[in-house]
Amino acid sequence: MNDLAKAKTYKSEVKPIWCPGCGDFAVLSALTKAFAYLDLDKKDLAVISGIGCSSRLPAYLSSYGFHGIHGRALPVAAGLKLARPELTVIASGGDGDGFSIGGNHFLHACRRNLDLTYIVMDNEVYGMTKGQASPTTKPDWVDSPLTPHGTGVRPFQPAAIALAAGASFIARGFSGDPNGMTKLIIDAIQHPGFAFIQVLSPCPTYRPEQKLWKNQVSSFPHAPTDNPLEAATRLYADDGMSSGLIFQSQYPAWQQTSAVTASIHQFEEEFIV
Amino acid sequence: MSILSCTQSLAVTGSGGSGAITVGNMLLQIAASSGLYGIMRRSVGPQIRGGESAALLRLSAQPVSGPDDRFDLLLAFDWLNADRFALEIPLDSASLIISDSAHSEIPDVILQSGARVIQIPLQQMAADISGGRVNMIGLGLLCALLELPSELSRTVIRSTLASKGEAAIEAALQSFDAGARYETSFQLPCPALQGGTTAARWNISGNEACALGALQGGVRFVAAYPITPATDLLEWLAPRIEKIGGSLLQAEDELASINMVIGASFGGVCSMTATSGPGLSLMAEGIGLAIASEIPLVVVNVTRGGPSTGIPTKSEQSDLNIALYGQHGDAPHLVLAPQNISDCIQTTRWAVQLAEILQTPAIVLSDQFLGQSRFVIPAPEPVVDSDSIARLRQIQHSASATPYQRYLINDSAISPMALPGTAGCSYTADGLEHTCTGKPSSIATDHHDQLDKRQHKLTRYAFGTQWAEVQGSGPIAILCWGSSSMAVLEAAERLQQSGQPVKVIAIRLLAPAQTAALERELQDVSQLLVVEQSHSQQFYRYLRAHYALPAQVQVYAKPGPLAITPGQICQALQALSGESI
Amino acid sequence: MIKPESIEDMETFLALSYLLETESSDRYEELADNMQAHHDPEIAHLFRKLSHYGEQHASEIMEHADGLVLPAVASWEFEWQNPEGPETTPFEAIGFHMTADEVLHIALANEKRGRDFYAHIAEKSPTESIRKLAAEFSAEETEHVQLLEQWIADIAHKISARPEDLDPPNIPE
Repeated sequence: MNDLAKAKTYKSEVKPIWCPGCGDFAVLSALTKAFAYLDLDKKDLAVISGIGCSSRLPAYLSSYGFHGIHGRALPVAAGLKLARPELTVIASGGDGDGFSIGGNHFLHACRRNLDLTYIVMDNEVYGMTKGQASPTTKPDWVDSPLTPHGTGVRPFQPAAIALAAGASFIARGFSGDPNGMTKLIIDAIQHPGFAFIQVLSPCPTYRPEQKLWKNQVSSFPHAPTDNPLEAATRLYADDGMSSGLIFQSQYPAWQQTSAVTASIHQFEEEFIV
Repeated sequence: MSILSCTQSLAVTGSGGSGAITVGNMLLQIAASSGLYGIMRRSVGPQIRGGESAALLRLSAQPVSGPDDRFDLLLAFDWLNADRFALEIPLDSASLIISDSAHSEIPDVILQSGARVIQIPLQQMAADISGGRVNMIGLGLLCALLELPSELSRTVIRSTLASKGEAAIEAALQSFDAGARYETSFQLPCPALQGGTTAARWNISGNEACALGALQGGVRFVAAYPITPATDLLEWLAPRIEKIGGSLLQAEDELASINMVIGASFGGVCSMTATSGPGLSLMAEGIGLAIASEIPLVVVNVTRGGPSTGIPTKSEQSDLNIALYGQHGDAPHLVLAPQNISDCIQTTRWAVQLAEILQTPAIVLSDQFLGQSRFVIPAPEPVVDSDSIARLRQIQHSASATPYQRYLINDSAISPMALPGTAGCSYTADGLEHTCTGKPSSIATDHHDQLDKRQHKLTRYAFGTQWAEVQGSGPIAILCWGSSSMAVLEAAERLQQSGQPVKVIAIRLLAPAQTAALERELQDVSQLLVVEQSHSQQFYRYLRAHYALPAQVQVYAKPGPLAITPGQICQALQALSGESI
Repeated sequence: MIKPESIEDMETFLALSYLLETESSDRYEELADNMQAHHDPEIAHLFRKLSHYGEQHASEIMEHADGLVLPAVASWEFEWQNPEGPETTPFEAIGFHMTADEVLHIALANEKRGRDFYAHIAEKSPTESIRKLAAEFSAEETEHVQLLEQWIADIAHKISARPEDLDPPNIPE
């Protein structure tokens, strides 16, 4: 069985309901190829999501999965990883789920640095609620009746914020480059810490103009750095449309002690008068 | 022997930093060491430092259920903010107030009780000792008045102050001796306690007891966010759970806490969080997810005064509604309430077990009174095989059987829950309504089937006799829940002694409602008093919704922060039975 | 990154050829599923048909591999003109309510890239047997191109614009 045939075994019987032309298909495809390449046992693999179009992803995989509530993919993933460190745990979702309602969890997941991979499919729009502005939407986008004058607010900068919050692996992928994304996902899963991949993933329905992204996205002109200052400089100079691994460093992760050194009975003895 | 035979109620107050709480804790420990039982409640102001604080003790040679109606003695180190706690320390003409002569202007709110006042130069005595401490002089004075053995006191002082260094211990002991030697021309208004026991006893708080019960039940993962008055439960757990192979993580907020707990429990580790009202509000959506996706977990809610930020440091039973009805949609789950300190252990342990068996969240409703009071209680029976719970969830599934269905509908309505790592059983847990396999579905039949299943697993389960504590019999009954059960039981005992027997039904399992069981208990009851610590009669309205009550029902509902006392309940009951005459 | 034209051994060349054919065929299948999910059975059927041809071609390639042990190769290890293999349809190429004509033009572009890919290897490969086989494959792809052009011509009389979406996705619910 070659990797392609094996990749298919990571897909479930449930067929995606994503719109034709949606970038999220490429993420699903890249994920399964990365799993196949890494030869992960699907019983030891769990993909966790929140709510939104992209958060439907776990149902399309044959691994264990959790489709939770809006914005909370990262805490569920963190709890699972802490409980079962031997599992490969992936969190995924969209820009609204991850950067707006779940923004606080994003910051703290970056600094906690648990060994998780977090893939955010960023289409700069709320798709499932029918086309509202998201944190990454440009301020002058006026196509949503909810923000008829545009948001007027500067967009959230996922990679720069991840860097400031202390993420140890920061990458940007593009759904128009599934092969490049597959490599990023492989590296992210292998990274021993919190690995964040922002995937530029066009929405053909509410943001048809994003079809042009394929002409705008290019590779980062630099090799990845482990210097946060350098990474910050590059990110601020970038227009948000460069793809590739931006920053990778070895930071300490939140650790739990799990050696058994006492019994409950000993705790009970503390209460004895 | 009855608890009514002899108890002493003492309050030690002072502005924060005066050491009143430390004196209370030490006094309880000294009394315990000398063979007594007791309780120490805490009432503190909202300030981090310098606020008013009061240690409220009741000591007895028999196990103490809760606070008395009045106080025998008040030891006040100062009178700052006395108005804030005056209502919590009811005094009368039989009471004694010991006050520092350095603070001779006693507030009217205290004086109007008619209590006798004794002035003692505490500050001056402390000034005569190098490093002298007013609160230790007070402790010495109290121990002498209570006739507690001074050697025990010295041991307790040494162990409590061990980390402060020898000089501090020496100064404390000298201060203690000065207080103990002080020539008193007065006596306590109550006789000294006789007949201490050598029986095994524990000195434990309700928060510690809930935490211990959780560990006994099998909890090995906790994620939580600090909140008064649940924080000390977590602080007790954190250094201990990791020593038995578990972990506790301080999350970024309650939204994270509950979802981390869901993730860990999905992974097969028995998990819980602890919080209080505002945190429970934030967790509401997560608890709903656990209900829909059928994830076992426990939330210990240490209730404080609400709504909103309310009164963080004081007790109330007003989170009943949110615990019962906090979720949107039809969301059956478990709500349990411990009735006393040792029940905090048992009920939390039971909650963990039920959550695991029934694959649903269990909310344990403790409160600030239970949680932050220290009780000296008879040592609980040892728990056998406390690790048994972890094995409950291991499912039997052979690869040759029909494809695995996480949300299978079967007779027990409890579906097989596979843990990640089990081959051939992969599934996606979902908060979306789903089919038997977990596939999202908005089809009416799937919704109805899964709603039925989630309801049936609770209604078909045999909870046994633990759903309530029932005591006594007869046509007059008191119905209560949670921490107010303590005052109710003492009231019942007083009424019994005065020849007015009353039946007490204290409900432990609030949801699912045990309609048939309660109605059986109410069969011969014609007059019912409902007791609860809420303003809007939350418990009474819950009873009305689920149970057929006797024709004559009286409600004694009083909001916090004042404790409900046995005397108040006796009065309410007399009013009820008087009506019928 | 490996340049496909620099492959020297027959095993790797066959593995790569098989990979790009299956990647293409798998993709058609995924697109068929997607159009099916959006209740467009005609277009779904068309993609399935294309997938079936791709599968056939892949198994023909495997006939050349009889007795050989093919190495494991991954698409992202190779330098393609496109983001993926030459015959693989990009996910974003399709759309809601697309026409058969649009589908066939996508397939035509894929086959042309396949033809050119093999032709390039037939010219550049350092190994004579690979050059020979690549020329064969390129000829087959040329046939596919012609077939598709014919197919497109056959349906030309019924070409229509994308039908209007009478229930646009952003109408208030």
